[in-house]
Amino acid sequence: MARETFQEELDELVGEVLELGEEVHGTLSEMVSAMESHDGSIAGREVGVDHRFKARGQEIDREVLLLQARQAPVAKDLRLLYSVMSLANHMVRSGTLGEHIYHGLVETDGHERDEDLDEALVEMAKTARNIFRQGLDIFRSRDIDGARSLQATDDKVDLLYSEALNLIANPSESGVGTPEWRMRAALTVHYLERIADHGVDIGGLTVFLTTGERIEDAMQQYMDREVRDDTRE
Amino acid sequence: MERNKTKEQTSKEKATPKKQESQTGQRQAEAPMEHTAQSMEVNGLNAYYGGFKAITDIGMKIAPNKVTALIGPSGCGKSTFIRTLNRMHEVARGGRVEGEVLLDGEDIYGKNVDPVQVRRKIGMVFQKPNPFPTMTIYDNVVAGLKLQKRHKKGELDDIVEGSLRQSALWDEVKNKLNDSGMSLSGGQQQRLCIARTLAVEPEVILLDEPASALDPMSTMKIEDAMLELKKRYTIVIVTHNMQQASRASDYTGFFFIEDMGEPGQLWEFAETEKIFTRPERKETEDYVTGRFG
Repeated sequence: MARETFQEELDELVGEVLELGEEVHGTLSEMVSAMESHDGSIAGREVGVDHRFKARGQEIDREVLLLQARQAPVAKDLRLLYSVMSLANHMVRSGTLGEHIYHGLVETDGHERDEDLDEALVEMAKTARNIFRQGLDIFRSRDIDGARSLQATDDKVDLLYSEALNLIANPSESGVGTPEWRMRAALTVHYLERIADHGVDIGGLTVFLTTGERIEDAMQQYMDREVRDDTRE
Repeated sequence: MERNKTKEQTSKEKATPKKQESQTGQRQAEAPMEHTAQSMEVNGLNAYYGGFKAITDIGMKIAPNKVTALIGPSGCGKSTFIRTLNRMHEVARGGRVEGEVLLDGEDIYGKNVDPVQVRRKIGMVFQKPNPFPTMTIYDNVVAGLKLQKRHKKGELDDIVEGSLRQSALWDEVKNKLNDSGMSLSGGQQQRLCIARTLAVEPEVILLDEPASALDPMSTMKIEDAMLELKKRYTIVIVTHNMQQASRASDYTGFFFIEDMGEPGQLWEFAETEKIFTRPERKETEDYVTGRFG
């Protein structure tokens, strides 16, 4: 096959971005542990990881630019390079949001908490981490159907998000937690929702890479087809 | 061809650059005006060299005022195809065509159609610049016109300036129109050949790898000229340069041979953006990404 070196460079680049994804997933898993165990020391150990993610993201961007300049990619190669840049951005952003949550955990370590809200946060954190994991796996295996299903999973996060906002607006009777903790909880809800969105987008890039279509367009076509089939029945 | 005469004359009258007096008193040609050029349509086209079938069952609509690029590996029939578009193929030994090629709805292979008139309306620029070596720059531009009818000197001056402006060469040669065409660089010679094609006021311009022997700067000038020219003409270009096809064309046709010895086929035809971002067929994708060819 022609362009073997270019193909090797592309494969290497995909390997690098997936490796970055695994690292970010690792830090999101630690975040869940820290939230579940209320152990500020776990969070303390992870503070500062986003510098590493950002540096790796920049390195990936640089390699993509170099390949674009040197190889003038088109079609699937162009889509792959675009996807890699987008993936790196989603991963770095997820890592940074995890970092924000770590800061909150460290700063509110030992604070009184609203237990109902705390429970909702942990549930949401697990869901966001799992979606991120699924997004990575879907991209790795180029699983288009999986990407479409993941898009639907986002609804679950939206429900948890609404539930958490409801708890923030209506504190439980058992205890509202300290003002600092409550403020941090409100921000954490938002960060977790964003992490889940990044996970969905990571999976969605599989559709673009494989077919050249945006997942939003593919989903719309899928829904239109469903409506047509229902009407026929 | 006759039935289009009135329409053609009207549109050409609009399109011909007119002279105007500048503030300094010098006459200048106006910028090329936009003009709706004629479209082409190819149906069930086969082309042969003797007993060998070079291309088979080609169907393509060539949109007016657009650049259509033809790409594909060597030997897949691109150049054969482009030569069938102005009846140059039949000049080759054993050259023969089946099917139809319509220019504005009329078959250029029709019984009473004069091939010379076809080639005037559908001009061609070749890979290697081929100015007439013994002629001046000026005479090279008007060479085609002199075969048609007598023109007044003033008319010829206007045509030379207009054609050289459209081919983006005027500023570089306006002070040496009486120099030999061979005194120009390769890129300039190629633009001179484009000007020579434009001088006879064609509807369609066929370019067979016009920049393959040129340096990057000359190539860019040809591409820039094409972007201007498509405002007035329909353009078809054969190119091996993928970046050129993606930069300069609106539609792209990918020619392909399934097996050695088989005739070339039009494998995929679509908007250029689609061919270079998400082609339908694997062979197209493999070719444009450089996996073969």
